[in-house]
Amino acid sequence: MDVITKYKDKDGKDVENKQDRQYHAQATNCRDTKMKYGAQWKVANIRDTSLQPGQAKKETIEVDLPEGVRSAEVTVNLYYELTNPDQKYPIHSVTRKVSLDR
Amino acid sequence: MRLMKLAVVLVAVVALPFAAMAMQHEGAKKAKTIDELAKMYDSSSCKGCHSEIYAQWEKSHHARPLMGVKGGLMLTPLALKKGTPGSTAFSEDDPKKMKIGNYPCFKCHLPQAITSAEDSVAVELTEALLAKDSAKVGKLQITCIVCHNEKAIIHKRELGAPEKGVLYGTKDVPSHMDGTFKTVKKSAIIKDPVFCGQCHGLGPNLEFDQAVQCANLYGSYLHAYIPTGGTQTCQDCHMKPINGKADHLIAPNWNDQKATEELLSKAISLDVQTLGYEWLKKAGALVPKIVVNTKITTTAGHRIPDG
Repeated sequence: MDVITKYKDKDGKDVENKQDRQYHAQATNCRDTKMKYGAQWKVANIRDTSLQPGQAKKETIEVDLPEGVRSAEVTVNLYYELTNPDQKYPIHSVTRKVSLDR
Repeated sequence: MRLMKLAVVLVAVVALPFAAMAMQHEGAKKAKTIDELAKMYDSSSCKGCHSEIYAQWEKSHHARPLMGVKGGLMLTPLALKKGTPGSTAFSEDDPKKMKIGNYPCFKCHLPQAITSAEDSVAVELTEALLAKDSAKVGKLQITCIVCHNEKAIIHKRELGAPEKGVLYGTKDVPSHMDGTFKTVKKSAIIKDPVFCGQCHGLGPNLEFDQAVQCANLYGSYLHAYIPTGGTQTCQDCHMKPINGKADHLIAPNWNDQKATEELLSKAISLDVQTLGYEWLKKAGALVPKIVVNTKITTTAGHRIPDG
């Protein structure tokens, strides 16, 4: 999941802040501490951040804006990466305009 | 003339059982080549009467279990020469040394290789993988026979091994219109998650001399979904009937980008809430801040991702 925040700085220049989260089981070969990809290398999971049945995955992501910036556009892209980051399956994309003014 | 007729009848009566035994014995022989193994488990005759199901299966990952996704050849690292970059503990220094046991992946990706193939098939596969011969590797499939015979019984001590010439399905069909598989018997498990769980795994495969881990899906189903009170089966979601018959595409088909995106967007929800305000970090130092709260939920009966 990518959370991309775009805004214009005080000079009118486009600025982009990108934060991401990865949700998946992570395994090693149980002989060292390096994560492995590929069944032939993996032996057991050591951490699991994947989406679990019946459980919501919640995140709070904060972006500090420079002084004087009063608005930004936030886009959250949720996608499935298969085998490597180049093989993406977009799932949802949500864009919100956020203002600091009432 | 009558005597000749009698002789012919007698020869036929005596010879037929032996011929049948010979055929049975032949059936017990192991395949020496990829072509022989593919022929042994060839399900193309099913197409005649089950064309819709066959067409679904042809697009499924079961029809290309050694191909990975989008044209990949997922077993290649095992075929690489031992010690070369990317090679594995299962690799050998010479393709000719490769044996069925060098491919633990066969447990699920080609179970018939374990029961019905000589080591020469592993050698031929290794050479095909190194030559990037997708056409040859693609001949090895999880066919109708694999699921509807080989994997159809898990209570073998009580029910016996799957019988030759018998398919197993959701109901008994005493007279099945096929030259080889003349009967269909009801499988005790084919509608149960445990049937899929035979391959879509519990976690580490510790039975091998070098442990491997592929799919954890069934483990997740048992230990994360069932405890939530989940009652759906794998088949309920992944084999929803089309025209009254279970969908044998068994989605997702990762090669179908659009359909996979649709499936994922139905199963996974994303809620986004935002807040803009000025945070007072310390007196007189307001910080413009945006807070993005995301919430992802899933209707799947297993972790995502898994396989």
